[in-house]
Amino acid sequence: MDQITSSLAPSRTAQKSTAPGSTTDGPGSVTKRLSSELMSLMMSSSPGISAFPKNDSHLFEWAGTIEGASGTIYAGLTFRISISFPSNYPYTAPAIKFDTPCYHPNVDIHSGAICLDILQDKWSAVYSVQTVLLSLQSLLGEPNNASPLNADAARLWSDPEAYKTQLMKHYRPLDNSS
Amino acid sequence: MASNAVRAQVAAKWQESFARINRAEPGISGLMSFSHAWSLATAFLKPYDLNDPTPRPRHDMRQVREAFDIINKCRRLPVMLEVFLEDLHKSQHLIAREVEDYMNLYESNSDPETVKALIFRLAEWYSAWKPNAELGQTITSAYTLAFQTHLFSILPASFARGVKALVAATLVRTVSQPSDQQDRPLWQAFDTLSLIERYETLIASVGYEYIEVYVLQTCAGSWEEPMLANLRTWMINKIVPWMVWPFARGATNADEAKTMMQGVGSRFDFHMHKTLCDLRTCEIFDIIVDFPDSSGALQDLKECLQRVDQRAELAQSIRQANKKRLLHPGADTKDILLSYVSTIKCLRIVDPPGVLLFKVADPIRRYLRDRPDAIRCIVASLVGDGESGDSLVDDSEPIQPLQQPEIENYADPEWTPEPIDAGPDFRASKTSDIISTIVSIYDSKDLFIKELQVLLAQRLLAIKDGNFDRERRNIEILKIRFGESALQVCEVMLRDMTDSRRIDQHVQSQQSSVIHPTIISRHFWPALETSSIVMPGQFQDMQEQYAKEFTTFKPDKTLRWLPHLGRVQLELEFDDRTVSADVPPLEAAFIELFSEKDTWTVDELASRVGTVSRSAALKSLATWVDIRVLKEDGEHVFKLLSVAEEAIPGTKTAIKQATDELPPVMSVQQQQAEQMKVYWKFIEGMLTNLGSLPLDRIQTMLRLAPGYDRTIEQLGSFMEAAKREGLATVKDGMWRLGK
Repeated sequence: MDQITSSLAPSRTAQKSTAPGSTTDGPGSVTKRLSSELMSLMMSSSPGISAFPKNDSHLFEWAGTIEGASGTIYAGLTFRISISFPSNYPYTAPAIKFDTPCYHPNVDIHSGAICLDILQDKWSAVYSVQTVLLSLQSLLGEPNNASPLNADAARLWSDPEAYKTQLMKHYRPLDNSS
Repeated sequence: MASNAVRAQVAAKWQESFARINRAEPGISGLMSFSHAWSLATAFLKPYDLNDPTPRPRHDMRQVREAFDIINKCRRLPVMLEVFLEDLHKSQHLIAREVEDYMNLYESNSDPETVKALIFRLAEWYSAWKPNAELGQTITSAYTLAFQTHLFSILPASFARGVKALVAATLVRTVSQPSDQQDRPLWQAFDTLSLIERYETLIASVGYEYIEVYVLQTCAGSWEEPMLANLRTWMINKIVPWMVWPFARGATNADEAKTMMQGVGSRFDFHMHKTLCDLRTCEIFDIIVDFPDSSGALQDLKECLQRVDQRAELAQSIRQANKKRLLHPGADTKDILLSYVSTIKCLRIVDPPGVLLFKVADPIRRYLRDRPDAIRCIVASLVGDGESGDSLVDDSEPIQPLQQPEIENYADPEWTPEPIDAGPDFRASKTSDIISTIVSIYDSKDLFIKELQVLLAQRLLAIKDGNFDRERRNIEILKIRFGESALQVCEVMLRDMTDSRRIDQHVQSQQSSVIHPTIISRHFWPALETSSIVMPGQFQDMQEQYAKEFTTFKPDKTLRWLPHLGRVQLELEFDDRTVSADVPPLEAAFIELFSEKDTWTVDELASRVGTVSRSAALKSLATWVDIRVLKEDGEHVFKLLSVAEEAIPGTKTAIKQATDELPPVMSVQQQQAEQMKVYWKFIEGMLTNLGSLPLDRIQTMLRLAPGYDRTIEQLGSFMEAAKREGLATVKDGMWRLGK
């Protein structure tokens, strides 16, 4: 009985090495890290989060999209964010802000600045774009009302109806054609 | 009243004239003799009607000459010439009438003989009226001019037609019998009337047409032998004797004739070449198809092209024929390739620098590049896939490494500039062999290597007797062409096959097993079709035992089974018979399950072997039904036949036992489709986050995806496909995700 088996070889993605210089536009390890993060983000298909570099030659500026998780007050809303990677990434956290006005206790309604521990003092090099995006998605549904950037929102959180009214008043749907 | 002076002047004039005519003869005897001479001379010269039956008065040439002498002495010859021409003019109606008669006849019967008769008659008139040559050149040429001017003014248009027919008839006669002198009088009459000068182009056109017809008749469709030499001999033997008549009149010897005919001769020669060139240009597609049986025609064409500058037309003709007859979906890729190779070989004969080839090959190459199976076809012929008969590669050609397009070496003393009609991106490919040329259709040879791996995988897995010599030989040959490093992967694949054997022997020596697996290194093999069937019962145990043995032998490696590939030799024992069968694993798995119970539904069976599609399951069961081990008992219920049953005629399952299919190695196309799925994720990502994008921007952004190597055209058609599936929409060239 002939059986065809295979010895356990490195996974297919390792064959990248046969296509030299495939993605990176420079030898920089940051660029390499960013493009591998992009690859894994693209292949992960986590629902409701997504990000992509704004420019193919400069990988340090990304645009991202976060959909409010179903079952939360943000369900059905989509927020555009911009991510800016520092040159010493991943040793320093990326700077992230909301482009779509987001009425949220931990988000500045005007500047879009976010108050999230892992983006500040709790940042670690093991985090990736994907984990940050997932954290942001869960932050929408579970705000940290103890240290609010938007005190109004923090106060209203306990009153879902009034909160929703305020949220919708500030929210602007994405204009995809821009 | 006239003054004295006037009177004196008139008197002086009179005296002068009188003295001139009287020539100091006594009295007026001079005048008398002049008068006599004048009337004799004018009567002698006066044109007469040939049809007039009254006999012409005989003139004594001595007297006539004397008369002319007298007139000449009186310096009256110019006046007499005028009188003569006046007379001629008055008599011309006689000729006009006859010309009209003859031409009316010709128009009604279209017989060139009528024209011939007319020409003879005109010659007769001409010589009848012609003043005697002794009277001097002036009067003769004045007469000839006046006669011809008048003649040409009255000849109708149909006369030219008649002359042409007549000349054509003489040509045919001369060609069939070159020594025939029958037409001599006719040509002389032509010459007398100066018709040759007048109709020179017409006569030449007769020659052209005759040559054209002859070339077409003898050469059309016969390509084996070069025809030019024969044609040249024919021209010398047949056409030149005829040409002597109109174009070398009055030549006294061969050299003189040669000089006279030089101009027209080279025009005729050119015309012959041009006709042949045109003919071969029209036939070129079939000539290429017939190659190498058409090398004669190609030699001719080469020579003709040097004479006739029709290279552009030739290229155009080939391109058109290719477009119409070759580069369409109805043509087999193999045929296109063969034709391409033929074209290369043919045009190398016709145009060694390769400019023509470059112009012609471009559309073929572009077309082949778009044909999905072209690479496979090329690779198959590279490894000499014997079944398809004629191979692209000539076995006698030495195997040589692929040539990369070289940069021009200006330091080379042999360097020559590009041919004058070379296009801007012309690349001299004089040294490239056929395979290099074909491989260069594609931008990189990597595609070939990939396809080669797939092909090799299929062939290696199909080998059952363990004889890999043929493949080894192929790889060694290909190594010479593509270089050692490119074929490293193939080398590993080949070694896997032999290693499998060795490992198997070792494992068997430790613990004998009926399984003889082929162990391949996944990293180096093209993707194999995956399946998630799980072998039930004893097969699973065997696999596990074998895997355990393997791990002890090679602790750093793990076996991963592809249980759906391979063959199983089975011996089935029934109550009344034994059946042996050589079947694919799925069949074996099913029949093993029948040892548990006799009746199964398809769904039950399928659920026991992991995931297997219903159609695949039915197909394998049909194999057993076919050899009467199972029978279908109601819809999708199968029952084991412990005791053989005669098949009821007419209910035999239509599905035949699966023949040996090629192992399911994923083709390069399938692999590309897999890759495209990855790229779609990227497109999705960018369109989600960056809004709508134009196609070229998507193309540049896709550079971020690892290994992306598609052209923007490929991307365009891919996006169109996505649009059809509703995944994307486009508006004003801007793509966005579909809802």
